[in-house]
Amino acid sequence: MINKVLVANRGEVALRVIRACRELGVRSVAVYSTGDADSLHRLLADEAICIGPPEARSSYLNIPAIISAAELTGADAIHPGYGFLAENARFAEICEACNIKFLGPSSRVIARMGDKAAARQVASTAGVPITPGSDGPCWSAAEVKRVGAEIGYPLVIKASAGGGGKGMRVIQAEDEVESAFKSASREAGAAFGDGAVYAERYMQELRHVEVQVLADGRGGTAIFPERDCSIQRRYQKLVEESPAPNLPEPAREGMKAASRALVDSLGYESAGTVEFICAGEEFYFIEMNTRLQVEHPVTEMVTGVDLVAEQLRIASGEGLSVSVDVALRGHAMEFRINAEDPRRNFLPQTGLVEFYNPPGGPGVRVDSHLYAGFKVAPYYDSLLAKLIVHAEGKDARDAALRRGARALDEFAVAGLETTLPLHLAILEDEEFRRGGVSTSFLAERELKSDGRGLLRLVPANRTPSPT
Amino acid sequence: MSRTALISVQSEPMSKERVQSNDGGEASPKSGKGTLPLEDVGKLVQLLAESGVGEIRVKQGELEITVKARTEAPIHVRPPEAAYDARVTPGSEAAAAVPEVDPLSERNGSSHITRSPMVGTFYRAPTPGEEPYVEIGDRVGKGQTLCIVEAMKLMNEIPADESGEVVEILVENADGVEYDQPLFRIRPEV
Repeated sequence: MINKVLVANRGEVALRVIRACRELGVRSVAVYSTGDADSLHRLLADEAICIGPPEARSSYLNIPAIISAAELTGADAIHPGYGFLAENARFAEICEACNIKFLGPSSRVIARMGDKAAARQVASTAGVPITPGSDGPCWSAAEVKRVGAEIGYPLVIKASAGGGGKGMRVIQAEDEVESAFKSASREAGAAFGDGAVYAERYMQELRHVEVQVLADGRGGTAIFPERDCSIQRRYQKLVEESPAPNLPEPAREGMKAASRALVDSLGYESAGTVEFICAGEEFYFIEMNTRLQVEHPVTEMVTGVDLVAEQLRIASGEGLSVSVDVALRGHAMEFRINAEDPRRNFLPQTGLVEFYNPPGGPGVRVDSHLYAGFKVAPYYDSLLAKLIVHAEGKDARDAALRRGARALDEFAVAGLETTLPLHLAILEDEEFRRGGVSTSFLAERELKSDGRGLLRLVPANRTPSPT
Repeated sequence: MSRTALISVQSEPMSKERVQSNDGGEASPKSGKGTLPLEDVGKLVQLLAESGVGEIRVKQGELEITVKARTEAPIHVRPPEAAYDARVTPGSEAAAAVPEVDPLSERNGSSHITRSPMVGTFYRAPTPGEEPYVEIGDRVGKGQTLCIVEAMKLMNEIPADESGEVVEILVENADGVEYDQPLFRIRPEV
C-alpha cells in the first residue's frame, strides 16, 4: 500500500482525499498557500506544508514547490484532486520522473485526452460515436468550410486544448466562417497557448450525460451508472444526478459500452469520466476527463463505492475491489453551493462566514471546507460546499427531490450570498421535476423574486415584472 | 453600557474643491492644519456615547475626524485549531515547521526576520564541509548570501533583505523549510 499521500489541492476536494487516506490508514500531507493558513485541509492532514503566497500560480500550480514538499515529507504519492494540476501532463510526467506515484492515469494518457481534437480521433478509432465534424484540427477557414459543406450548418468551432467555452464559436452559415475561425483561434491561443481549433456539428436541445469509470491498468475496468449534468450555467455544472432520468435504455447501454471500449483502448488507470452529449437515443463523445470529478459523490451515493479509496488501492497495485458493471441503488442528486449571488447575476462573493449549519439526517451528505469564522478569499474558485442527497425504493427520484428540498431548506450560510436559493428554485420547476431537461434549461429561464425572499424560475423572454 | 471609542484622525492632502467648499466656518483650513482639536474630539466622543450612533465623521478643510463606537465583542470566530491540535501526531518535522514567530519580537523594531521564499531544504554552507555563509554575530549587508534553500536539485542562494547583525539562526542545517518560514533574525544597523 501507498504510505503517504500529498494532496496537491485545497478546499473540499483536499478534505475528500484526506478523509479517504485516514480511513485507509494512509498518512496525508496537506499543502497550502499563506491565504489558506486557516483552512481545514491544513488542520486535518497529518502534516502540512506552506508552499507559497495566495496566488495559485505561485502555490497550488507551483510544481517545484509541490514536488519539494513531497520530497521533504517523504510522500510516495500525490493526489491532484480536480482543477489546478489534475490534468497537467507535464506535472504527471515530473511525478513519474521523481518516482512519486501520481494518483491518476499516466502522463501519456493525460496528454492524449487533453488534446480535444486528438481525443476525438482516439474515441472514433475505439468505435465511440463522435459528433460529425473535422478529423483533427482545422488549420484554416477553408478547412472549416469543407466540413460545413459536408455535414451542414450550424457548426461549432472549439479549441483543441480547451474547455469551459473558451475559443468556442457557433457558426450558422458559411459567410460567418472566416471571422469565427480567426477569433476562435486567437482566443484559444490566448487562453491555452495553443490556437488549434476543430469543427463539429452544433447540436441544440442536448443533455449532458457522463459515465464514471475506474480501471486498474491491468485490464480490469469498472463502469458505473451514468450521471446527468445538464443543469449548467455558462458551461459550469450546478446540479448533477444519477441515474439520468427518462434516458432511453439503448442510449444508456450504448454510452456505457462506448466508455468501456475507449478506456480499454487507452490502457487507462485510475478514475476517469467519459462525457457525452445526447438527444433521444443518439449520443456522441465530447471528451474524457482524466481525473476525479467534482460530482463524483453522486456516483458514490448510488453505488456505495468510495472512488478515492479505489484510486489509492489501484495505485498500490491491489486492483479493483468492485465489479465490472457496478449496480445502481436508488437515486442521488448533487447541488453545488457556490459563493455567488444569484440575485445579482451570480456576482462572486467573498468575506467572513458568520454562521454555518449544514443539513443532516438520512440520505444527506455534505462535502465542504466551511466552518463559522472561515474567510472566503477571492483567490480561488467559488465552490463552498456540495450537498448530495440519496434515496432508495420505489419512486427514488421523487424521494430524492423531496429530500433535496428539505436539506437545502436546512442549509444555512450567513455572511455571504450563495446559490442555495437558486437550487430551491430549480427543485420547484415542473420540467426539472419531470426529469430529462436539456443543457439550455437555465439559459431559457430567469430568476424572479417571489417577494418573500425566495426565488422562482420563469421563462426568460417574458417581460420581467419590476420587483 | 460600556463602550470604547476608536478615534482616527486623518490629515488629507489639500484639494481645491475642499478648500472652496469650505465656506468660512469657524475653523478655516489653515487654523486646523497640524493641530489636533482635542476639545472638539472630546465633544464628539460624548455626542457619540449619548446618541448611540455607530460612527461620527467630521470633515473640515484638510482635517477629517472619525469617531467610531466599538461594541464589546465583535464577531470573530477562530478556526477550531486547538481542538484539532491535540490529535496531530507529533514527531513529524514538517508538522513542526509551521511558520511560527513571536509577533512581538518581530515587531519591536530591534530585529528583522528573513523568511524563506520557497519550499525546500535549508543549507548553511555552499557545499557540505565548507564554512557556513554566516554565523551568529556576523555583520551582513543587504544582498549578501545567507544560506541555500534547495528545491528540486536547484541550489537557491537566499540573500539578506536587510543589513545588520545576525542575532539568531532559526533553522537547523539540512532541515526542511516551508514558504514564508523565518530563517534568520537580523538586528538592523542603526
